[in-house]
Amino acid sequence: MERFIPAIFGPPKVEPNRAPIDWIGIAFAALLSACIIFPLLVVGTWAFTEVWRYPNVIPQQFGLRFWGQTLSRPDVWGALMLSLQLSTVVTLLSAAICLPAAYAFARLNFPGRNILFFSFLAGHAFPKFGLLIAIAAIFLQLNLIGTFWGVVLIQLVGTLLFMIWIPVAAFQSVDRRMEEAARDVGAGPLRVFWSITLPQAGPTIAAAVLLSFVGTFYETEGAWLIGAPGIRTMPVLMISFINNQMVIQFGAVLSVMLWVPSFIALMFARRVIGGGAFARGFGG
Amino acid sequence: MTDAVEGAARPLIDNTDSKRPHGLLLVAIPVLLMTWLIIWPIISAIGRTIWRPDAEGNVGFSLSSYVFFFSDQYSLNNLWITLWTTLMCAILLLVICLPIAIYLRFSSGRIPAYVQALAIFPMFVPSIILAYAFIRVLGPNGMVDILLNAVGLPKIRTPYLTPWGPVIGLVWDNIPLTVLILLSGLGNVANHAIEAARDVGANRLQVFWHIILPRISNSVLVAISFAVLGIFSSFTLPYLLGPAAPEMMGPFMNRTFREVNDPLNAITQAVITFGFCIAFGLFYVRSVARNQGK
Repeated sequence: MERFIPAIFGPPKVEPNRAPIDWIGIAFAALLSACIIFPLLVVGTWAFTEVWRYPNVIPQQFGLRFWGQTLSRPDVWGALMLSLQLSTVVTLLSAAICLPAAYAFARLNFPGRNILFFSFLAGHAFPKFGLLIAIAAIFLQLNLIGTFWGVVLIQLVGTLLFMIWIPVAAFQSVDRRMEEAARDVGAGPLRVFWSITLPQAGPTIAAAVLLSFVGTFYETEGAWLIGAPGIRTMPVLMISFINNQMVIQFGAVLSVMLWVPSFIALMFARRVIGGGAFARGFGG
Repeated sequence: MTDAVEGAARPLIDNTDSKRPHGLLLVAIPVLLMTWLIIWPIISAIGRTIWRPDAEGNVGFSLSSYVFFFSDQYSLNNLWITLWTTLMCAILLLVICLPIAIYLRFSSGRIPAYVQALAIFPMFVPSIILAYAFIRVLGPNGMVDILLNAVGLPKIRTPYLTPWGPVIGLVWDNIPLTVLILLSGLGNVANHAIEAARDVGANRLQVFWHIILPRISNSVLVAISFAVLGIFSSFTLPYLLGPAAPEMMGPFMNRTFREVNDPLNAITQAVITFGFCIAFGLFYVRSVARNQGK
């Protein structure tokens, strides 16, 4: 996995003049491995452990027993299905309303275009949970607390910036001269869009859609605040597993399962997230 | 992302005469949604907390919920622990990420590539999994205790359920973006500027202080703003890893809203977090907009 990341996130390169042993680099690599990879390895080990009592460094017994137990819990299945449903609905709605808007921002000139484009930053200028409380107060009056559609709305708002800004960049990177050429030989606007614009912008847009699906799948705070008690998504279920100190392995198995979508996102991210451009997008 | 937006400012085909409003129709739904669920709640939150009925039922200007917050010792303790956590995280993030970013900027090869991959990695670990891993590693009888015990050392005083718990978790969570933002800022430091300073005899510290730091100060501020906005009202990690009292503003607002069932005071707390973060938020938005508009 690490092999792929340098290709995307490669630092600005400086020509090496000589190659002494990179002690600083080795120290950073060792420290970061211990702080970032090691905890995740521990979780991975717990997921495949049947017995691991305190003073032992290695689990006494490995096995898949707790996978069976976790997967046979109805609340796990309910939460998984609900999370997949929510993520699908939110992503489809988001694509349906954001992609046309992204096209308009990228290609059409209309009054207030710039101010509206940057207004989507507003949600990121405020501390998130404070904003969620303010929204929850509105939802309370509308009886949307604890409902499926309340959670859909709150998660939909969270995807707006992402699903507009990345596709805008994708539409703008399409070669306009190819579109003009197609139009010159008589292709209609729809044909041009379908045959020229979409194939070029498609991969980036697909990655944005996927990232928004994964982001929604993991969204915890909105689902926790707006969804409770009726709507229990995977991350919300995981919180209650941690709080209630249930069988340790349940949490570990869920973590490993939950991490799979993240892994897919990681694979796709190398297409969308170009190191410097991404950081500049965050204002760096 | 940025390069493409630059293209928008100078379109290949200059269609200034086609400034028609039909684009507005296409952007209407997201804009309305954003207005309804971001702008309106903020205005409404401020309005409802300062303009409300008094004892006789007359609606009027009143700051009583704010007076209550700032005179209630429990609320003040929560605000204080939030400020402390945010400050600690900001300091630790700079101390950890600045050396990593500087190292990555001025080296090449496989080790820096590996270091960078690791530094970005937490971006792809959901905070709920992070919280679980934290408990298994640093919690009571966790992996660190096991290893210390194996070599005959005493157990650690676990940071789980202490104010340091959220600090460690939040720093872990915020390393990737801080490194990326700093690294992008370091791209503005020209190699020849450093070589020139080196030639006149500047040591590493002097190069850092006089050449690098002035050129990346803006990126440092952006990184800090971004981290502060995320940390100040963070919920999941403080809720799972922090102490029950005093609690950070995120869990405090959640409890006031859901368990105490007191929306008015919850909104007041939210508006207070807005107030503490407004400078960081404005600075952050200004930087992003300026970068995009360049």
